[in-house]
Amino acid sequence: MEPYTGTINSGGAKPEIKIDELTSERVKFILTNTDLSMANALRRIMIAEVATIAIDMVEFELNTSVLADEFIAHRLGLIPLDSTEAEKIKYSRECSCQGACKECSVELNLHVKCTEEDTTKDVTSRDLVSNDPRVTPIQDGLKDPGILIAKLRKGQEIKVKCIAKKGVAKEHAKWSPCAAVAFEYDPFNKLRHAHYWIEDDEKKEWPASKNAEKDFPPGDDEVFDFTAKPNRFYFEVETIGSMKPEDIVMNAFKKLLEKISSVQMGLTTNDVNAINREPPREF
Amino acid sequence: MPSTFHTCEREKLFLNPSSKRFGVPELQKLVKPFIDSFNSLLEPPTKGILHYAIDDIGVMEISDVPYTSPTKGNILKVWIEDVLIGKPLLPENVRAAKSFQIFPSECRERFKTYAGKMSIKFCWQVNNGRVNMEIRNVGMCPIMIKSNRCNLQSFYSKQLIEHHEESEEMGGYFIINGIEKIIRHLIVQRRNYVMALIRPSFANRGKSYTEYGVSIRCARLDQTTMTNTLHYLKDGSCMLRFLWRKQEYLVPVILFLKSLVETNDKGIFEMLMLGDFENTFFSDRVELMLQEFKSYNVQSRGQCLSILGEKFRIIFSLPSHYSNQRVGEYVLKKVLLVHLNNNQDKFNLLIFMIRKLYSLVAGDCCSDNPDSPQNQEILLSGNLYGMIAKEKLMDYLSSIRTLIVADVNSKKNVDFNNKKYLSTIFNKPSSDIGKKLSYFLATGNLVSNTGLDLMQTSGYTIVAEKINFFRYISHFRCVHRGSFFAELKTTTVRKLLPESWGFICPVHTPDGSPCGLLNHLSYSCRIITSKLNADRIPIFLSEFGMTIRPLISGHKTEKNQMCIQLDGKIVGWCSHKNAKSIADKLRFIKIEEKIPIDIEIGYVPPSNGGQYPGIYIFSTSARMMRPVKYLANGKTDMVGSFEQVYMNIACLPEDIVEGVTTHQEYSPTNILSIVANLTPFSDYNQSPRNMYQCQMAKQTMGTPSTALMYRTDNKLYHLQTGQTPIVRPELHNTLGLDGFPNGTNAIVAVISYTGYDMEDALIINKSSYERGFGYGTIYKSEIIDLGEFRAVGDPIHHQFGLEDDAPTSWREKLDNDGLPFIGAKLTTGDPLCAYIDRIKGVTKIKMYGGSEDAYIDQVRLLGDDLGKDEVQKVHIKLRIPRPPVIGDKFSSRHGQKGVLSRLWPQVDLPFTESGMQPDIIINPHAFPSRMTIGMFVESMAGKCGALFGVAQDCTPFKYNEESTAIDYFGEQLLRSGFNYHGNEPMYSGTTGEEFQADIYIGVVFYQRLRHMVSDKWQVRSTGPVHNLTMQPIGGRKRNGGIRFGEMERDSLLAHGMSFCLQDRLMNCSDFSQCHLCRECGSIFTSLSLKTHHKIDSNRTYKKHHIQCDICNTAKWITLIKIPSAFKYLATELASMGIKIILDTETK
Repeated sequence: MEPYTGTINSGGAKPEIKIDELTSERVKFILTNTDLSMANALRRIMIAEVATIAIDMVEFELNTSVLADEFIAHRLGLIPLDSTEAEKIKYSRECSCQGACKECSVELNLHVKCTEEDTTKDVTSRDLVSNDPRVTPIQDGLKDPGILIAKLRKGQEIKVKCIAKKGVAKEHAKWSPCAAVAFEYDPFNKLRHAHYWIEDDEKKEWPASKNAEKDFPPGDDEVFDFTAKPNRFYFEVETIGSMKPEDIVMNAFKKLLEKISSVQMGLTTNDVNAINREPPREF
Repeated sequence: MPSTFHTCEREKLFLNPSSKRFGVPELQKLVKPFIDSFNSLLEPPTKGILHYAIDDIGVMEISDVPYTSPTKGNILKVWIEDVLIGKPLLPENVRAAKSFQIFPSECRERFKTYAGKMSIKFCWQVNNGRVNMEIRNVGMCPIMIKSNRCNLQSFYSKQLIEHHEESEEMGGYFIINGIEKIIRHLIVQRRNYVMALIRPSFANRGKSYTEYGVSIRCARLDQTTMTNTLHYLKDGSCMLRFLWRKQEYLVPVILFLKSLVETNDKGIFEMLMLGDFENTFFSDRVELMLQEFKSYNVQSRGQCLSILGEKFRIIFSLPSHYSNQRVGEYVLKKVLLVHLNNNQDKFNLLIFMIRKLYSLVAGDCCSDNPDSPQNQEILLSGNLYGMIAKEKLMDYLSSIRTLIVADVNSKKNVDFNNKKYLSTIFNKPSSDIGKKLSYFLATGNLVSNTGLDLMQTSGYTIVAEKINFFRYISHFRCVHRGSFFAELKTTTVRKLLPESWGFICPVHTPDGSPCGLLNHLSYSCRIITSKLNADRIPIFLSEFGMTIRPLISGHKTEKNQMCIQLDGKIVGWCSHKNAKSIADKLRFIKIEEKIPIDIEIGYVPPSNGGQYPGIYIFSTSARMMRPVKYLANGKTDMVGSFEQVYMNIACLPEDIVEGVTTHQEYSPTNILSIVANLTPFSDYNQSPRNMYQCQMAKQTMGTPSTALMYRTDNKLYHLQTGQTPIVRPELHNTLGLDGFPNGTNAIVAVISYTGYDMEDALIINKSSYERGFGYGTIYKSEIIDLGEFRAVGDPIHHQFGLEDDAPTSWREKLDNDGLPFIGAKLTTGDPLCAYIDRIKGVTKIKMYGGSEDAYIDQVRLLGDDLGKDEVQKVHIKLRIPRPPVIGDKFSSRHGQKGVLSRLWPQVDLPFTESGMQPDIIINPHAFPSRMTIGMFVESMAGKCGALFGVAQDCTPFKYNEESTAIDYFGEQLLRSGFNYHGNEPMYSGTTGEEFQADIYIGVVFYQRLRHMVSDKWQVRSTGPVHNLTMQPIGGRKRNGGIRFGEMERDSLLAHGMSFCLQDRLMNCSDFSQCHLCRECGSIFTSLSLKTHHKIDSNRTYKKHHIQCDICNTAKWITLIKIPSAFKYLATELASMGIKIILDTETK
């Protein structure tokens, strides 16, 4: 096996990011001068390993609604909480406290009772009262009605105490900060990784990708370079609201660096030499 | 085309249910046959079925002298004047009730029967004296929900919800002990139509009997029936067969002919020949038959009636003062062609039957197929209910007679003028008809003396299971062929016949044993529930050229004439030439609504050896009819299953043949049942897949009810995250199925990934699972009745509660009243509730025995009927969460079922360029052999629907070769920037590399099926064994093992795994040891003996020592290992005197 000589950037040039679009919901950027593995690692981290805050434990004091306890608890868990300050909160498992403390958790309370006669009362995420102003259910302006949790008829009541904790989506999807991460490279299929199925006419059946506008179309007489590697990656990250999209990307980079450095830390020079010396194992 | 999801409309319907109409009126129509047939029991203003029934029962005359007595004695007449059924009400002695009405939800929740008081006006008269009348209470008879005796009858959505029902409650069922029961539709022979039959079993009746016969099932006004069969004998004569109280009777048909009207042999001969005197086949046989009858030596009608009366007097148990002639007339009325009142009509029809029979024998006409819907009708639930009620009323009167006759015979003092005597007699026999009806509904068993002219005694009722709405609605649309046919070895009855087009769904039948016997009505098929007014039909027919008698030219009757029958009554004749135009004209005035539209005009044209020609008009109830378009004026015509066979109905506009086609289908999907209609793009699928989907739709976890709070079903399955399908047929909206979501729209990628999708397994995205994909819940009922702990009649000495001494562990789950907290979590062994035995002063608990964790959902205290006694019964509803786990079953709507094999992390799943990741991954190998192209189309359609935010129509037969579905959806996809064929480039989630192949990905509606591993897993290391064979027992409930059968044995043998084989079949099964004597080879002869060895003078020691009792030595004894089943075999053989000798060798 050839020793791995590459760095995070391929071909010497430093990795670059070009941001195409940035709104409160999404960020579109192009990552260049890096390896496919690095780009995919970034994607994976954004989906599964950027830490956010979400309700993890629900204590029911009263629930006379038509919905079952576990069902409401599940809905509460999926409500996005503002996780901009997630860094400052400890993971529960890393905290010295026994159960939950200010350091590693946020308490949210919900107490709604319907007293109206003829209409149902909506219990929404706006009814959740947080004891930490940094971690509140997200709200898009004052007119945002909030996320519906349950509907109550007259006399029905829900009173719960929720403990929100920090976590990653690897553990449970409720901790994922993004809705979807679009990822593409090589819109013109110059690398010939894909072999598209064509019934009659490629142009009629395969509309060009939007990213094709930002890529370089192959020349008419361009020769297929079988050694070429992807190094231009089109990303689009959409947040569910718990974090700003740029924060997701930045946190993901931090996490990625952390991971790489921990690998680096773990590997001593001897290990590297040993790896390079040993012939690959046959299975 | 439905392009909107009607979300707001639906929301409005739920929030503000109307008090004047239903949200989905179409649903009410589906159960109409049930409700209308029940309503017709007592429907004013015309007479109800039960009123006709008591007319038919008539007056029973009982004499107070023995049968042999020469004097007439006193005559007691008893009869029933009227029948009344009240609405369900509380008993009169209840004081504390606000309202006396009982509503169905109360019966469901309290596990009671929804019943109303039935009473009869019972009359008696002694010797033409004063008529005495009393109202007798004959029990609480079960009431059909939403019938005219139900308290919900006039309610609409709003009131229904107020009374804890579904907003669209349809009714049609009964509530017996809290369980919803349906009398299911049965297929029976078409009434009032003479059917030609060739049955080998007919020849078994006697030496001269042949396989030929004609049969007619005659229906009385009270919907009870009597079948008359005419048998052809080898000598050419005919015998009429009928059943009376399950006994078969055969009577020469000439006897009946002659007792019906005053006639002579010539008259009969001419009637039978109908002018065709050259036909020697007919004339020979008629002559012979008439000649043969000469041996009876009777001429006049009176003589014939006397013979009949004499023979049947005892069987019909008629009083002695009736003359033989009167008895004979009674027999004719009760037995012969009971759908007709007039003797002349009966005579004419009997002649017709003989002619048809002779034609059949001569080969001029073919036999009618009893398995064809052409010759079938439906036994309606209300009609069967009425039949049973009638028989029970009749039984009551008969038992009064039996009692009096017994008293007379035993020379007791029988005095009809003694009020006391009469009242004891009247009160003695059981008159609780309600109880008998409840028993019938609860068990489905028919207890009957007459058999009711039906072919089965059990299986009439089914539970209306609410697994999901499809299952529920299908109960009301299903028709069963009868359990008699289930045992039949031939498969002819199960065949799908072209005659069933439009009436019986060709797709919706289960596979396996009930296949083809349990069918479902097509969506457009209606069942007629009332007798239509056909009084004017004969007038119209005469206008069109019908003659009352067969045409006579010169002195002879003209040849080539066919008869016109209306409900089995010959109303006239016409020539073959004229017949078609008469039938056509009649049809035209029917469509013009001069006669009811539901009248069936069956014109059977003359043919060479085909069906016996004639015009057969039907106006009675229980027929299957369906709407089609009449092409001449574009109006709707109703077509029946009899007439359809001879009509030309085009399916599509291109099928119309000028001058031939008269009608056209409204929609080609009308041939499908409700559930079959809901399979998307079913016209693209291989047909068995659509059958499988019909099965699986009914096993889906969905929304069983919108009134879950008030349901106490034994087991309920509920899907928490149901969605409306993006791809749905029009019928989905028509039937308001969004009120009962049944699955989830899932992003499905067809790709072979990771290997966990082999063999129909499916991979589910772990994040989707965590967001609630396919999350289900089961509700189970537990009933605790403290009454069971004491003997009947003992005073109550139990109460729910906890004494002070109860351990604290109980108090965690139970409150002071002994009942569990709402929301408490129970694991195996936890207390479910506690009660105090007041005599012993101790608290006992009832334990929760389920193996899964459950939550207390509801606790119901069930009081007694009068509300007086303390609570002795509680109902506890448990909620068991069932998130999807590996091994749970899922299915798309195309018969593509699969088992969850792995929850795969989202990041590792493949993704598209837009970042979409599949919820479900299925293997492409699921398609080539199954050819469910409809699923591909659905996937594309779903993708388009999701992209444009519209609902997509998937009604079958909407696309054709010119405008294909693929093009329609492909264009939409292309417009949104996707590949025309629904493929997308995808990237590996783990490496980020683009796949070489593009992947088919789209949105498919997935159903979660109710089969879950939690209910099925079975594991055992050691456990209970069978006490005779010592082998492990079977059965999951008993902690048994899984059978290691012959085929499994074969595979181990083939692999040469002898140690494994020995382990399975011997060591882990019925391993045993015993002593064998190698000399004599027996395992039974070894005896254990004690020998005393002397050590010294004082001490001896005993030694056990085994020796052969026959060989008298221990020399050859060996301990061997044999299966204990072998030991058992040897014992069994020994008991029969067969010895087993084992020949052994030592290694």
